[in-house]
Amino acid sequence: MIPFELAEPRTLKSALKLLETDDPSVRAFGGGTALILMMKAGVFQPTRLVSLRGIEKRYAKVASSKDGSLRIGALTTLSALGRVAAVKKSAPVIIDTLRTLSNVRVRNVATLGGHLAHGDPHMDLPPVLMALDAQVVTAAVSGSRTLAMGDLYTGYYETALARNELISEIIVPAQAGRRAAYMKVTTRAADDWPTLGIAVSLGVEGQTITDARIVVSAATEKPLRLAAAEAELRGATVDDAVLARVGEAAAAEVELTGDAHGTAAYKTELLRVYARRAVRKALAA
Amino acid sequence: MAKTSMSATHKDISFTLNGRPVTALAGNHQNLVELLQEQGLFGARESCAQGLCGCCTVIVDGNAVSGCLTMATLVDGADVRTIEDTGADGKLDAVQQAFIETGAFQCGFCTPGFILMTRQLLDEHPNPDEDQIRHYLAGNLCRCAAYTEIIKAVKLAAKKRKG
Repeated sequence: MIPFELAEPRTLKSALKLLETDDPSVRAFGGGTALILMMKAGVFQPTRLVSLRGIEKRYAKVASSKDGSLRIGALTTLSALGRVAAVKKSAPVIIDTLRTLSNVRVRNVATLGGHLAHGDPHMDLPPVLMALDAQVVTAAVSGSRTLAMGDLYTGYYETALARNELISEIIVPAQAGRRAAYMKVTTRAADDWPTLGIAVSLGVEGQTITDARIVVSAATEKPLRLAAAEAELRGATVDDAVLARVGEAAAAEVELTGDAHGTAAYKTELLRVYARRAVRKALAA
Repeated sequence: MAKTSMSATHKDISFTLNGRPVTALAGNHQNLVELLQEQGLFGARESCAQGLCGCCTVIVDGNAVSGCLTMATLVDGADVRTIEDTGADGKLDAVQQAFIETGAFQCGFCTPGFILMTRQLLDEHPNPDEDQIRHYLAGNLCRCAAYTEIIKAVKLAAKKRKG
């Protein structure tokens, strides 16, 4: 890595001021695990980095409401997130996902805000939080705004965040009896980057699915809702025939990208199979 | 480059290294493994350089981190512990004893990382089942593939810790 300046502001406000610059290589970071990899590879060469570690501790806290909704400070490390009892109660799919998300050491320093803002489509929690209908709250000198998770990603490593804007908080709404699951398909180790990720959240009344959110990631430029597959589930009672239609609809409605983890054709077959399995896993949750 | 002056790209830092206070002039572009090497410690090794293999495991303020993904200047003020930390009595601990007794290594390159991660695992889960052991150590690679013995060593260490 080449030398660069490091700013260590003590408040979010001063961090945001440091981002008011025309220099496109000035970046903020939380844990820094993803950014350092890019710097080591030489694809990112900053003149200055802004460490968010020293800002107010409240941005690393998780608050829960009686209804089960969560407000997660963006600087919460993934390890800390996994230890919050309210998260386990309200959104156990997050805990399940964290289990194979990278490894203990990375989870000890990587933050949820950084995980979401990095824009890498292989990250595990973006599809999960989209399926849970979460929102992100952002901060900038000019003010704050709230974005649906589905509007955060605009392309491959591209987000709707402006260069001078940070995620400050993630809001997970009350899940009120919904059932959710995430399945991660890897071709090497269990904690590897996914070849395909699929998150499902279902509203269920008795045996009937009232509404479904299905999100595919890793094999796409950004996490995507699968509207046709979701439509197959709405109002349905799940059986093998319904699940077969869900798998077919998912495989037909999205164009997947081939890479070192598998060809597009292989991943499409994975999607056909894992769409079914993920719905089953959610129903059993 | 002689490290004689402070600039915006370097920082004078002080931290506790294996219980001993130290000061150093660290570059922002340096990682923690490089900083430790300058302190004469070579137990944390940069191997995959991507945070995947665990050979560079270091304990910072009680948490395991990958030294290769940690900026050296960020340990300013921290408590840093490495495999060279022998504790107050200077003796091998239960985890080290268990690794020796089960022969849980061949070349030994990955062993410091496995020892440090196993201590963390047992602090969190004093009675880990095999699934917990496998998940917790999934981020540590042993290219001699001594995994079977390593899992045995972790189970033995758990027993030894209980005395």
